[in-house]
Parts: sequence; structure tokens; C-alpha cells
Amino acid sequence: MAAAGGQGPRRIALEPALLLTVTVLGALLVLFVLFPLATLLTRIFVDSDQFTLEPLLEILRASYHRRAFVNSLTLAALVGVCGTALGFLFAFTASRAKLSRRWLTALDAATLLPLISPPFIMSIAVIFSLGPRGLITYQLLGITTFSAYGLHTTLFVETITYFPIAYLTLRPILATMDPNIEDMALSLGSSRWGVFRTVTLPLAVPGFANAFLLLFAASLADFATPLILAGSNFPVLPVQAFLQITGMFDLKGGAALAFLLLVPAVIVFLLQRYWVSRRSYVTVSGKVGPQTAIKSIAPWVRRLLVGACVLVCVVILYLYALLFYASVVVAFGANHAWTLRHYQVIFTDGLNAIRDTLIIAGAGMPLGGIFGVLVGYLVVRKTFPGKHVMEMVSMINYALPGTIVGIAYLIAFNSGPLVLTGTAFIIIACYTFRYSPTGIRATVALLQQIDPSIEEASQSLGARSGTTFRRITLPLILPAFFAGLGVVFIRSMTAISATIFLVSIGWTLITVRILENITELSLGPAAAFSVLVVVIVFVVLALISAILRRFRVPGDTAVTSILGG
Amino acid sequence: MRGGAPAARAAGPEMSPVGIQLEGVSKQFEHRVKGQVFAVRDFSLTVEAGEFVTLLGPSGCGKTTTLRMIAGFEEPDGGRIVIGDRDVTHLMANQRNIGFVFQNYALFPHLSVYENVAYGLRVRKQSTSMVTSAVGEVLDLVGLKGFDQQFPHQISGGEQQRVALARAIVIRPRVLLFDEPLSNLDAKLRVQMREEIQRLQKTLAITAIYVTHDQEEAMAISDRIAIMNQGVIVQEGGAEMLYHRPASEFVAQFIGRTNLLKGRVVSVGSGKVELEIQGRRLWLDTERADLAPGAGVKVVLRPEAIELQPLSAGDSLQGTILSRVFLGEKVEYQVRMGTAVLQVADYQWTHAGGLSPGDQVDLDFAADRLQILPGESP
Repeated sequence: MAAAGGQGPRRIALEPALLLTVTVLGALLVLFVLFPLATLLTRIFVDSDQFTLEPLLEILRASYHRRAFVNSLTLAALVGVCGTALGFLFAFTASRAKLSRRWLTALDAATLLPLISPPFIMSIAVIFSLGPRGLITYQLLGITTFSAYGLHTTLFVETITYFPIAYLTLRPILATMDPNIEDMALSLGSSRWGVFRTVTLPLAVPGFANAFLLLFAASLADFATPLILAGSNFPVLPVQAFLQITGMFDLKGGAALAFLLLVPAVIVFLLQRYWVSRRSYVTVSGKVGPQTAIKSIAPWVRRLLVGACVLVCVVILYLYALLFYASVVVAFGANHAWTLRHYQVIFTDGLNAIRDTLIIAGAGMPLGGIFGVLVGYLVVRKTFPGKHVMEMVSMINYALPGTIVGIAYLIAFNSGPLVLTGTAFIIIACYTFRYSPTGIRATVALLQQIDPSIEEASQSLGARSGTTFRRITLPLILPAFFAGLGVVFIRSMTAISATIFLVSIGWTLITVRILENITELSLGPAAAFSVLVVVIVFVVLALISAILRRFRVPGDTAVTSILGG
Repeated sequence: MRGGAPAARAAGPEMSPVGIQLEGVSKQFEHRVKGQVFAVRDFSLTVEAGEFVTLLGPSGCGKTTTLRMIAGFEEPDGGRIVIGDRDVTHLMANQRNIGFVFQNYALFPHLSVYENVAYGLRVRKQSTSMVTSAVGEVLDLVGLKGFDQQFPHQISGGEQQRVALARAIVIRPRVLLFDEPLSNLDAKLRVQMREEIQRLQKTLAITAIYVTHDQEEAMAISDRIAIMNQGVIVQEGGAEMLYHRPASEFVAQFIGRTNLLKGRVVSVGSGKVELEIQGRRLWLDTERADLAPGAGVKVVLRPEAIELQPLSAGDSLQGTILSRVFLGEKVEYQVRMGTAVLQVADYQWTHAGGLSPGDQVDLDFAADRLQILPGESP
């Protein structure tokens, strides 16, 4: 079959709706991604109207900062690999091990927990467990020489925290993969392992690449976990940048440190783009063959996989049990008497923060979801000048450490053409453009699995691009859309690194209050707030999942919703 | 140029069919290994209104690319495409009022059969009552009455194909385009479906262009066939003309099965030549005016034109049977004659069970069944 032709640049001009969409999205990206970045970079690299490298060079002269750079990359790569592997384990088990609906729901719920909670809570729980007087090290095993700080615990917490992203990215791909292809490989004499190695894995490659990219970028930008767990022997760039700005009031130096993070993020993105885009992965077409049961797992393998997943879930649940316990005792580690005092506190003193957070998260969710799906669709299905640029720019705010985005927004919208500091809007805008890339990536990965001839069919019947997108494409990529919605909401509820620069008297957020509580060592309220966040997010996700169930594409071979069922 | 859907048309008596013209159409692709490659080169074809024309050729010959350019999914690099009286070369697919039937059907998996078929009508903003009656009528026409509420994954391949067909027809397109629509069906179904497609096309009187690599299919349904190879048309015409008077070795071997014999010109007459083939001499009619004694020619001889007889002392060509295969309606033989191996097809069961591998036979054929190929082009 002839290679699928794109629409040349002049074609775009013939479709006004498309042109308008591209223009509007482009303008938004320029205003909320490029403009703040430009003002920030100007602040670093321009002094009295002259370009200068001095702030950057000054940073690089310190060996501590160079170590931080290497450490950041190492950690991110390890998290990328471990998280993708773990995410694939779960995605594969969920889609191939023929689990009952109840099991699937439990699996989904357990993997969701790390994703929906403020990351430093996991870190605290780890310290409670593995620290000098930790539950596991000291009280259970009597070890006093184990250090809970460093690469190992940071890697552990970040992997556990971020692998659900890989899971969410990979599961739709494995779920929509045509099982006839695996059957065919089996019939050709391939062993089950051979089928896995030569059919399933290669077809999942777009997902792997996307997942690795997301995880790498997430770890690179994560500062809350290393803030608590990395320790001074394992410096990483985001923490160094934060400390440089808030501790030493060196805006230029901190920004320069964070600038070092941008380079690897861009390289990884380019790599993924030119590697993944070389292969065609169409396995879902309008022709849906007879549904064949998925047979490619041997029973003992199935038990092993399920066992492994259960083990990971148990570990996660243990950490949260610890968290919950800390919220209902007077003082963990000291006074273990039951109390509801902490919850009382958060619903009185903390009510403002709760209300503000919900409003902002609720507003950002649909914006981020729609934006993600639109950009993802344009990037995969349409050709227009500046397409690659748009894709890259849309990823920038996700790849950047939240610290940098926060400071950039602060500088850019404090004066000049658009004044937004002190409003809810600046926070909403920050979240929308920072967290929509997940939706973009999920849309891209899912679209790469859907045969373009379905959309061509719609076109041949007279539908314009907008109609085709609305009535054909959108229903088919709904899983990706809702994944995008879900992630924007969750991250909005649990973000800290950018927000801490954008809150004001008028608008304060739960996560900021949690960090304040931790700093004051009032861990009870911190735990209580965290439990509340977890509960709210779970409720919202259950709602989305229920909605998704109603819109599921008939003929799905496996569950594609976020919470199963 | 607005990117709008074509104007809604009432479901009334059929509009009169339109012709299609392709003039010097070309399309190039960037091949990863070969660089700039012509998928279609200087393609010109006129399709009369109401005609059923097939683009036939091996994989990679450019037929699908040409079809997609007519549809508007690809834009030609050069040339013109005219449908009816409209130059559609630079129009988008949704402005051309075409019906396209895909190889993999491309049914909308999330919509019912009814909604799939109704889609084009809804895009044209037709009223619900018109949609209902049109969809019902066309589902009836393709034999899918009662299938409205089924979903694509619930019906068989043949049924899916009919939904795809119905979906393309219901909008009363000016042109129907088929991209190897039957290649995913089993053989019997393929024959059944191609007859239905032909019947529908004639009933609805819509100009149709069909792409396939199956020459039997092409011959069965087309008014005219355009054989393509490497991006160009190598010959076009009716099935019988292509079969009996192929313009090149490629066409001779692509349409039907054939034997290629090498001969040498002995003498030339007016409208005739005397050839020597494998030691036997015979006079053949020919249109070629460029032959001189001593020239080498290639001659086409169809398998069914050869009759095998037990060995005799006459001056027939002779050979040895290598294999015999019983295929129901015919028996196929492979016969070694000198250095050549000939295919022979016996539809008369002349020697039911009588000839076996190893037997020596006479090969008889009428001289007028031999076709001299035109001179090879450089």
C-alpha cells in the first residue's frame, strides 16, 4: 500500500477551521511557554543589553554543581528504565493475564496512589521506615548503620511515584493491539517468549519510547523527593536551583542551574522523535477481525507476573498505611494515641486552601485535556509549517523543572503586556501548559495505533477536518483524552515546585500548606492533608472512569479506563 | 476556496453519470533507500461517464497512488484531474463528492452499521426522515436488511465490505473508487461480491474506478482495464483485446497465463510472416511491419490453445509431459518441448486419465492462436 501522504502546506490554507486551530494553539504556546521562558533567559543571559555567559560559567565552575548535573541525568535515566519496566509489567499483566474486573480495579487503584499524592509524603514514609529510628531498619531489624538518604531511596521513591505514568501510557497500547497478530506468530511456530520478544515488544515500542521520555523528564524535574531524600552526598540540579534562589537569593545562578536541565530534556525528546517515528505501528483498523482470546501467556508466567504486581502494590499500600496511621495518632514516633485532632485542624484553618485548590484544579482539567488532545491530533495527523516546533514547544513546560516555570511566570506576568500575578489564572495557566503533555503523548501513542484510513473514509464522505476530529477521532482516542484530564487534575492537586512561587494572599494551595507543616514539624496535619488529597483525587477519578465506561468503543478487547471496569 | 462539504443532494432519480480525465498526472515520493522515486509518471486516462475502469498491476505499480490522487488523499506533483466538468486537482477529498471503498473497509468501529452508512448523509445535513429512508434503501440494496444496529466487530468480513459499499453509495457520489476491496475476503465470497459490485454499479450508473492486482477480477467486472507497471500505463483496453493482443511480454504474462515462444522470421509477406519455431514453420498474420528475415520475435501462445495428442509422425511440435494436475474444470499439463516448458490447459478433458507424466505427445494448435508481440521498447 502506498505510503500515506500528508497534506501539503498549501492544503492547510484551504481548511479555515484547521488554520484557525493551529494559529490559536500556536499563539497560546507562544504566550504561555515561550514568552515567560524568553523573559527568564533574558534575565540570565542579558546584562545591560549585552549577551553574557558569565552567570552560567560561574555555576559550572563549581564541581558540586557539575556533580549535580551528572547525578540528575543518572537518576533520570535509571528512573526512566526502572519506571518503564515496572509500568510495562503492570500494563502487560493488566491486559494479558486475564484478571477479573475486581483484580484490575485493585491493580489500578494501587498504582494510582503514588501518582495522586504529594511526593514528599512517600519520602517521609520512607524515612519513617528506613531512617535512624525507622520502623523497618531499627524497630524490626535492629540496623542502625543504614542510611535512608542517597540515590537508592530517591530512585526507589521516584520509580514508585512515576511508574504509573508508564502504566497509563502503555496500557492503552497493549489493550488495542490486535491479538490476531500474536496468534499469527504463535501459528508460525514461535514460542510464547518468541511472540513476546518479536511481536508484542516491538509493537509496544512507541509506548516505551513515550513512557521513557515522560519518566526521564519527570525525574529530571522532580525536586520535592530529592529535597528530602537525596541528601548532601547526592546533589541534583532542581534542588540546587531551588536552594540557590530561595536560600542564596541568587536568581541568575539558580536559573542557570535549571537551564542545564533543559538541554538533556530536549535531546531525549529529539531522540525519541526520530527513532520512534521511523516505524509504522498500525494494528487497529476499521476491520475488526473475529475476537480471539489472548493466549500468549503460560500459566506459570501469569502467576509470576501477578505475584510481582501484587508485591509492588503491597509495598505501596504499606507506605500509605504508614501515612494514614500518622494522620490519626497524636505524634508518630512519640505519642501513638488515637486522635482526630489533625483533621479538625485542616478543615478549619485549612479550608481556604482546600477550596482554592479545588477551584483551580477543576478549571485546569478541561483546558489541559482538550489542549492535549488537539495538539496530539495535529501533530500526528496533519502536516503544517512549524509542526515539529509546536510539538517541541508544547513539551517544554513539562520538561522544565517547576521551579523555573514558576519563576518565569512570576517575572513575565508581573508587569508588561499581561499582568497575572496574584490571580488564580496564573496558576491555572501554569498547570495547563505544564501537565497537558501527558495527554499529548497518550493521544499521540494511541493515534499511532489507529489506521488513518478511518479518518480518510470520513473525509471521502464529505466531512471537514473538524467534523472528522469531533465525530470519529475523538471518540476513538477518548481513553487518551480522559487520561489527560485525569493527569492534569491530579498534578494540579499535588503540584508544589512551580506553585510555591505563584501563590498569593488571594490564592493558597494544599500542597504549599503541607510543605509548611513539614517544615514546622507538625507532621500530623501534613499527613491529614495528604490523606484528604488522596481521597478527593480518588473520587474524581472514579467519576471519570464511570463516564469513560459509558463511552467505551465497542469491541475493545481489554479495559481501557483509568480505574478499570 | 471554502473547505465545505458538497451540497446536499436529494435522494431522487439518479443524476447522470460523469466522466473522469487524468492528464499527465505524476507523483513522486522520497524513498528511504532509492531517493526520489516516481510512483506515478505522466499518467493519462479518459474514463467515460458510467464506465467501469480497472487499474490493474502488480504491487508497487502506482495504481493505488493514482486512485488516491483521484480521491484527493494525495496531491499530484504534476498534471490535471477532472471529474465531470470540474478541475479537482487541488481540491480536498471532502469537496470532490466521491465514494471510496477501502481495502480494510475503514468502518467506524464506534458507530453502528446504520450510523456508519448514515455518516455521509449527516455530514450533508440531510433531514432525519431522508436519512432513514436512504439508509434503509441502500442496506436493502446490498443485502443487509436488518443489520442496522450491529457494530462492525459483530459482523463478518463480507458483511463489513457491504457496509463499506453501502456507505459509499448512499451519498450518490459522482464517482466510485475501489481500492482492492475484495482482497481480504475468501475466494468464493470474492466472486460473489464482485458480481454484486458490478451489478450495483450498472444499476446506479455511477462511473467507477477499481484497483486490483487480481487479473481475473479485473476481467470479470471491468468495461476497460488499464494495466500499470512502475508508475505508467503499459496497455489499456477491453479484457478480450488485452488477452488476445497483448502489447508486451509483461502484459501477456500478467493477464491470464501464457507461454512465450521464441521464433525466427524466415520470410515476410504482406500482413503475414513465416516463422520458424522449434523447427516447425508456419505462416502467421501480423500487424508488425518491421520484421525482416532472420529477426527474432517472441510469440504468445495461451495454454488453452494447445491440444495434446498422442505422438504421431506428423510435423507437429513434440514434447514430453512433465506433470499433470486435475483442477476440476480443467486439467493442466506441463510439457517439456526442447529447452522450453509449456503450460497446457485442457478444458475438454480430451484425455481423461489417458496422459501421464513421461508420455510423449504432439502439441497441436491453430496458427491464428499465436500472437507475435510487438517489438520490445528500449
